[in-house]
Amino acid sequence: MELFITLTTNGLATGMLIFLLAAGLSLIFGLMSVLNFAHGGLFAWGAYVGTWVYMNTGSFLVGIVAGILTGMLLGLIMERLIIQPVYGNHIQQILITLGVMIVLGELIKAVFSANPQGAPAPSWLSGSFEAGNIIFVKYRLFIIITGFIVLILLQYVLTKTKLGLIVRAGVMNKEMIQALGVNIKKVFLFVFMLGAGLAGLSGVLLGPYANVITPGIGMEYQMLAFVVVVIGGMGSIIGTGLSAIIVGLANAYIAYQWPQISMAVNMLIMIAILIIRPQGLFGAKEAHSR
Amino acid sequence: MNTGLPLNQPKRRISVHHLSYLILILLLLLVPLFFKESNSSLIIISNIAIMAVFAMSYDLLLGYTGIISFGHVMFFGIGAYTVGIFMKKFDYTWLYLFEALITVVIITATLSLLLGALTLRLKAHFFAMLTLAVAELFAVIGNKWRSVTNGADGFSFRVPDIFRDRLIFAYVAIIFMILIFFALRQFTLSPVGRILQGIRENEERMEALGYHILSYKIISFIVAGFIAGLAGMMYGIGTRFVSVPSVLGVDLTLDALLITIVGGVGTLIGAILGAGIIEVVSQMLQSFAKTYPIFERWLLFFGLAYILIVLFFPYGIVGTMRMVWEKRRYRRRGSKS
Repeated sequence: MELFITLTTNGLATGMLIFLLAAGLSLIFGLMSVLNFAHGGLFAWGAYVGTWVYMNTGSFLVGIVAGILTGMLLGLIMERLIIQPVYGNHIQQILITLGVMIVLGELIKAVFSANPQGAPAPSWLSGSFEAGNIIFVKYRLFIIITGFIVLILLQYVLTKTKLGLIVRAGVMNKEMIQALGVNIKKVFLFVFMLGAGLAGLSGVLLGPYANVITPGIGMEYQMLAFVVVVIGGMGSIIGTGLSAIIVGLANAYIAYQWPQISMAVNMLIMIAILIIRPQGLFGAKEAHSR
Repeated sequence: MNTGLPLNQPKRRISVHHLSYLILILLLLLVPLFFKESNSSLIIISNIAIMAVFAMSYDLLLGYTGIISFGHVMFFGIGAYTVGIFMKKFDYTWLYLFEALITVVIITATLSLLLGALTLRLKAHFFAMLTLAVAELFAVIGNKWRSVTNGADGFSFRVPDIFRDRLIFAYVAIIFMILIFFALRQFTLSPVGRILQGIRENEERMEALGYHILSYKIISFIVAGFIAGLAGMMYGIGTRFVSVPSVLGVDLTLDALLITIVGGVGTLIGAILGAGIIEVVSQMLQSFAKTYPIFERWLLFFGLAYILIVLFFPYGIVGTMRMVWEKRRYRRRGSKS
């Protein structure tokens, strides 16, 4: 039982971390039909800048803010300079975002270093406490709570505010809301920066969770985020949240039993879902071309 | 991306074409002779030829059919690993080399048929994502299945002695490239090739005309996978060493992508030209790295160049040149009439 609860908290923490990354990916695709292959690059930049600021200022919260701002800033530059010229051209979009991914990854190696960097948890979040016989690691609980807060906030913004209404309407029918006089470009930029900021946040949070960050985390977590959005379906926050939890938990249980194959299992799940139910478990958007 | 040839070509141009191809082949065959003293140059030349084949196979998907696969490296890796395993576990003879070839053909064809049949129905984004995932899966298997692949450390093996001579191998690689070039050229000019280009231009229209899109896409995927496997085999024979990062890493797919984009999508010559440029420039940048450490990140410069090319020259070198050429021809024809 203790083992089960420990694994479950691990799984939830991983799941929430991936959710933060995948939420942006899912929203961006849902609204603009852009699958951002550079999302992991934004994540890695958030992780590096956030950790650097945290190590130099000593304040983890400042580090988090720095990570989010880094993500948003990169998102702004990317959307304006690189994504906007190729809206509507799928082939160019896919090719160019992958190019951005390479550049972001190489820039990390050039600016920081290609070697792994340590990222300890701040003192107020390090260590663990016992409840009954079960040991809870504080930092994991922190990630889970942060993830749920973001999930609730996002869902609130999307369902209860005017902005969310526009975004949801945009997901359903872009042309119609443009015809109603909404400047869709501004909405695109907003959603892209929101997603990029979440990726940055997720990156900073990863640091103390994994204890070490490497330039390879971008690609690694991007693959997990892809698995999550494919299972959850594009454009649905709740779907992304649920599937992130499923993937996180499955990962934790499988990695405990058979650590060798946990990544392979993720990939197989994703392939199976894409083949059997390509719109995802909760999504409405078709993934088949017809 | 209309790069198709005009339908009514005058006969004279075709013979000019043939002549220029002949000259090009002769020039290509002369190249190794200039460098026969330098082993490292010969290795670069063989690499260019092999990467050109890999990129041509990629271009068949990206440029001729309009399919984006981010997992092309898996076929390359299968080719390289099959040669390595056959040479190491059995014997380094011609017989086993031939058996390795048959095995590569069977594995790549089966894999691409299965994968294509299951996934080519997907929209471009999902297909790109899925192929990236499958290729990563192959890399993970390669890393974990150490008894066969020896993971990231890789293993070296021996090949029939004739391939050990760098000059001979450079010739083998160049002839291999020329053969594949003409085979693929024939394929793209064949009725099937025309249909593939039709699919690239307008999928709905081709379907309305009664073509079964999926089967044609699968054909393209199989041919591309099979040729990538051959390129991998040649790579294995040339380096006599395979490891997961060197033959199954995502960066190889990126190389193919870069070469295709730089040279020009939808042009086979572009792949050869692009392979030459990318290989030579990367060697140059790496040699600068000794004085300027920033050039250790040479991929960064390629990435930036790649983004700029996708944004501003989506047709690449050959494609852009061809467009300028055509424009001039039309203008001349216009002024005459």
